[in-house]
Amino acid sequence: MYQSLELFQTAGDMARHAGARQAVVTRNIAHADTPGYRAQQIAPFQEVYGSAPASTLRQTRPGHLTTTPAQVAARPVATDSEPSPNGNTVSLEDELLASVAAAREHSRALAIYRHGMTVLRTALGRG
Amino acid sequence: MNDFSDAMSVATSGMKAQANRLRHVSENIANTDTPGFRRKIISFEEQVRLGQQTGSVTTGPLRLDQTDLARIYDPTHPLADDSGYFQGSNVNLLLEIADAREAQRSYEANLKMFDQVRQMSSALMDLLRK
Repeated sequence: MYQSLELFQTAGDMARHAGARQAVVTRNIAHADTPGYRAQQIAPFQEVYGSAPASTLRQTRPGHLTTTPAQVAARPVATDSEPSPNGNTVSLEDELLASVAAAREHSRALAIYRHGMTVLRTALGRG
Repeated sequence: MNDFSDAMSVATSGMKAQANRLRHVSENIANTDTPGFRRKIISFEEQVRLGQQTGSVTTGPLRLDQTDLARIYDPTHPLADDSGYFQGSNVNLLLEIADAREAQRSYEANLKMFDQVRQMSSALMDLLRK
């Protein structure tokens, strides 16, 4: 909605990151009994934030080429936990923990977004 | 939003796979006393559609357990041979129960993830209200 404001963009990135993290956790849990499956995870938001290329092409006319807005780079990496006898490295406990962490991250991001909206409304005198 | 719908379909595929496994476990248990019955085993694998891995889980091909059938002594049984033995099934009830319990746990974990993802996406939708 208010993409140009830094606050909303960061909150949006954070929510997207939480969603991607939750998707990876869900895939891990679905494969909890698949032989030979390697568990995956993505880096926490603190590490990912700002690592995306910040230098985007400047747009001075509507027809100019643009690069996509800085996306949060979410790439699954194999974790190094102890595999079970069938070669599966998913640990249900770790995954549930990661899922709760992702849900909290998501609701935190949404809370920041909502708060920003409230501040804007107040500034407009429609609070 | 795309992440959420992906996650939901993956969780659903997990639940389907576990339910399928549970069905085979109950087939095995139901046929514990069937003479000559071999235990059915299924494994899980990653779903491949159009040459690409989708991330969903699916059940692999059905296999029959090739361990020896139990030899049961009962001369009055219609299938008994000259020495009074007949071949029973190779179902081990203890294994089946353990398998069923594991399937149940994994199903619950998948269901929990589905619920979690649903809550997250509905929280996102709530932003539009007010």
